[in-house]
Amino acid sequence: MSAGAIAAGLDIVESSENRMVLSMGPQHPSTHGVLQVVTEIEGETVMKAEPEIGYLHTGIEKSAENLFWTQASTVIERMDYLSPLSNACCYIMGVEKLLGITDQIPVRARQARVLLCELHRIASHCVWLGTGGIDLGAISGFFYAFDLREKILDLTELSGGARMHPNYLRIGGLRDDLPQGFLDRLDALIEMYPRRMRELRNLLQANPILQDRMIDVGILSADDALAWGITGPALRASGVPYDVRRAFPYLGYEQYEFDVITRTEGDAYARFIVRLEEMDQSMRIIKQVRKQLEMPGPVMIDDTKYAAPPKETIALSMEALIHHFKIVSEGFRVPPGDVYQAIEGPRGELGYYIVSNGDNRPWRVRTRPPSMYNLQVLKKIAVGELIADMVVMIGSLDPVFGEVDR
Amino acid sequence: MPSSQTPPAGATALDPTAVRPDIADARIFRVTPAEIRATLEILKSDGFTMLLDVGGADYPGREPRFDVVYHLVKIAASARTVAAVGTPERVRVLCGVPESDLVVPSIADLWPAANWAEREVFDLFGIRFDGHPDLRRIQMPADWEGHPLRKDYPLRGPARERAPRPNFALKSNVAAGTPASGRTAAALQKQIAAARGQAVPATPSGTDDTK
Repeated sequence: MSAGAIAAGLDIVESSENRMVLSMGPQHPSTHGVLQVVTEIEGETVMKAEPEIGYLHTGIEKSAENLFWTQASTVIERMDYLSPLSNACCYIMGVEKLLGITDQIPVRARQARVLLCELHRIASHCVWLGTGGIDLGAISGFFYAFDLREKILDLTELSGGARMHPNYLRIGGLRDDLPQGFLDRLDALIEMYPRRMRELRNLLQANPILQDRMIDVGILSADDALAWGITGPALRASGVPYDVRRAFPYLGYEQYEFDVITRTEGDAYARFIVRLEEMDQSMRIIKQVRKQLEMPGPVMIDDTKYAAPPKETIALSMEALIHHFKIVSEGFRVPPGDVYQAIEGPRGELGYYIVSNGDNRPWRVRTRPPSMYNLQVLKKIAVGELIADMVVMIGSLDPVFGEVDR
Repeated sequence: MPSSQTPPAGATALDPTAVRPDIADARIFRVTPAEIRATLEILKSDGFTMLLDVGGADYPGREPRFDVVYHLVKIAASARTVAAVGTPERVRVLCGVPESDLVVPSIADLWPAANWAEREVFDLFGIRFDGHPDLRRIQMPADWEGHPLRKDYPLRGPARERAPRPNFALKSNVAAGTPASGRTAAALQKQIAAARGQAVPATPSGTDDTK
């Protein structure tokens, strides 16, 4: 394909003898999915970069409009496939706000949601750490990081039955209580975590080659970060300590002790350090939740309008059978209105703007995808950098294309 | 709170945002496309440094039909501690766009974050952003026709949309005569009898589908 055809519709052209148009992706292994970056280079220096997205567009928002409120969380989980529970959790909290039942969610369900969200934050950062290392040639770290992630996916499987998309959270609480033996496995994870992180830090953070590749690459100032809508670790690496868990506490995050990690350099290495430190902070939260989960309790709202009655009661109670049938066959209705719900996902502020028209299906589910906004800034930070550092910058922004393209 | 099973009186309202319950998640403004730039410029100079999102919504039958929804949050770039960020203020600006004039001024020059978000609204709803530096489709292929998130766009796309399924009453051969396949109970019995070499059972004349 000629360079002109690659750049069709873009304002990237070979304007002079020295300039060359280079298209990277969408099959490039370092683009973490299907990202195409059309660059204009002079020698090895990037003069202009234009990320092209949309190769993984699956119409999840349209699908969600055609499913019942509860069913929609199944497809919504598949947006950010590295931390599926954050997506489901945010959407479900939005719907609960529209229903006005936020205060009635059982405490244990909230604690379990916090636990799973934080576990998935670590799992998601493990993927970033492993693949980010591979981008720079550090292959061994990948196996250590994925081993840790695998332990978390085992816990996810234990909770909901599936490794990646358990569909475990429900509007009103959880599908089931955490199974027997879950806490023991969690204890084992908590115990092995510090050793595994020490190994990873020795392999990656202390590696002078990696440091050289990341320091002073892709610098993003605080002003630019805010103007480009950057959130999450990338914003905190530029010095602004905005964390939705602290700014707009949800699910009882105000009662947990954790630090909002910030750096001021704003380069790829700062983003690297912020994410690494954040994993430790997530583990701090997990330890606190672990203590609270000793107390048994209900995990689903006590309202048969939203929660199907227990299976055992169906054979005994006509009322239970009717409620079960109604919830399965036509779902429940949500009062009309619109709401914006945000949580701190692994990549930044994950938001859902949900509109209900009073029907049993959502009218509109608009995602505020953090990694789309984070990726967009590549246009700015890539200019003047070396083409070889493009993979460093993409890796440091940590996009996940299920969410960017939806 | 009314029971969620019975939709409130406003349930069929064409504008769910007008009947929203009292959820204090943001300050909400409703503006026209002519006012949107001035409103957002004022908000920006008021300290709303971060544009979180630009999204769209379609309400067919309502006037104006579309909403472009802007989410802003007030964070100071100089904030260096969690306490300095505090609980920032949120603002939501709903901009109604009539179907007859699907143009909204672009704000990509105020917040570069709006660039891709506006392209996405253009791609999926067909609302044009006047003054956008690079208004191309972003999610759908460049040669795609139609705007998928509009409510009148079929779920599986126009090319793949099946004919609507017949409803139950039409499927029943009792109500609507013999189906195209001819496989009524009487016809099946004839086939069975023929296969066994038995005499073909007599059928009441009213239900004989061979006529």
